[in-house]
Amino acid sequence: MPFEMIVGAWVATGLTLLIFSFLYKDNPLFKLAEHLYVGVSVGYVIVKTYDTVIVHLVVKPIVENGEIALLIPVAIGMLMLTRYVPKAAWMSRYAFAFIVGMGAGLAIPRTVSSFILKQVEDTIRPLLSMTGSDGVTFSMNLLNPASHLNAIIILIGVSSVLFYFFFSIEHSGVGKAVARTGILFLMISFGAGFGYTVMARMSLLIGRLTDLIEFSDTSYGRPTVWLSLLTVGALFLLARRGREQPPDIH
Amino acid sequence: MWMAGMTFSEKMLKIDRRIIFLMIGLCTLLPLLYPVGLPIKTSSEVRGVYDHIESLPEGSVFLLSIDFDPASKPELYPQAIALLRHAFKKNLRVITMTLWVSGTGMADQLVTQVAKEMGKENGTDYTFLGWSPGGQAVIINMGQDLYSAYPSDYRGKPTKELPILEGVRSLKDVGYMVSLGAGRPGVEEWYVFGKDKYKFEMGGGCTGVMAPGLYPLLRSGQINGLIGGLRGAAEYENLIGKKGKAVAGMDAQSATHLAIIALVIMCNLFYFSLRQQRG
Repeated sequence: MPFEMIVGAWVATGLTLLIFSFLYKDNPLFKLAEHLYVGVSVGYVIVKTYDTVIVHLVVKPIVENGEIALLIPVAIGMLMLTRYVPKAAWMSRYAFAFIVGMGAGLAIPRTVSSFILKQVEDTIRPLLSMTGSDGVTFSMNLLNPASHLNAIIILIGVSSVLFYFFFSIEHSGVGKAVARTGILFLMISFGAGFGYTVMARMSLLIGRLTDLIEFSDTSYGRPTVWLSLLTVGALFLLARRGREQPPDIH
Repeated sequence: MWMAGMTFSEKMLKIDRRIIFLMIGLCTLLPLLYPVGLPIKTSSEVRGVYDHIESLPEGSVFLLSIDFDPASKPELYPQAIALLRHAFKKNLRVITMTLWVSGTGMADQLVTQVAKEMGKENGTDYTFLGWSPGGQAVIINMGQDLYSAYPSDYRGKPTKELPILEGVRSLKDVGYMVSLGAGRPGVEEWYVFGKDKYKFEMGGGCTGVMAPGLYPLLRSGQINGLIGGLRGAAEYENLIGKKGKAVAGMDAQSATHLAIIALVIMCNLFYFSLRQQRG
């Protein structure tokens, strides 16, 4: 087993256990791991961004290939930094204007096309199919997303939810029934979302526990066993010290 | 905290949350240590991705965008491994990249590990282009000219010199594309700024949290398949016949789901029983 793998296993196990210690209660060990996570993540992003953007996409092409045109986006980007100089801060508006204008221009038509027009087109599906000269067919299969029954359910769902968010008329009588139907569809949607969220969070727990089981192997030096004992011991000592020290009253 | 005179329902509703954590922990740990091997049924959305890759002729260009970072590793890493194994097995030309700067190192390690396992050579059979800034702008740039978005690969080799990219000028030359996304930019951006504009076939993979939001794209045919969370990864592992960490985690997933369902039912029973007692 390579040395760096063993070190990696010990670091990963230790940090996992420190984070898990929060399940017992908030404590300095958890805080240490939390701050390390934030620091390492930000540090990594800064280094990778500097290396990719400044070194590989700006400096090298300009110096080695003479791509002078790159100085234009660099200049626009530099204008952002003028926000730190109050007298020149107005210049940063040009950079923001460029970003907002370009971003909106790129995003609006594509988003309208992809999320509004395409979804409206998919919602308004034929509720019945014509099959040659025999007449019409209606498929009742709930498990088939393209069935006619599902097309009707989607139509009812979309209409009732839209009506629920239509506040210009009072939700009474028939309107109340439609709004209630909308709430029902919303609840089902929230339930599905919550179910998937639980599944996702459990997957994360499974991922960490799988690693802890793997790192309890002798080839890694059993970091799971030793570091679990160390974490529990540290929590015990911290709890005892907390009991011995009188609360700080101001 | 429990107090004298409390009814059983009251005690249960005020139970120490750490007992629940312990229960969930045990429900996860025990099936991982002693797997039962519950059956895994393949859903049509996962099969959509598998079937499309299966239908690609040898040498087709397969683009995998690894749009996640280590925070979503347990769900998306097994998906990426399964997809790469399938693509390498089919002898596709595999182009990989990431739109997430925080996932660059992990993505490189992942691609290199699977390629080594499958005996594939960097630059000839596959390439990892790395990360380029801009998110959706990178996708548009790749649609116009791949070499302008990525002048060099992750190892600094000029992309124009890579044999694997022979005949590939832009996204229009991609046979199939899958984005494994844990947020933005991810599957939606690849559809909006990639597929919808440059007309290539694409599928998606995502975390469980994101899956309900992507089903409308699947139903309308905007993406032809969706691998959702660890469950989706397990289904894909089953399809390629190479069981990995996702399949191993399915027993634990089922056990924790059962525990949570039982807790929700019990909590409701105690709540209504308490309400009845109070009149």
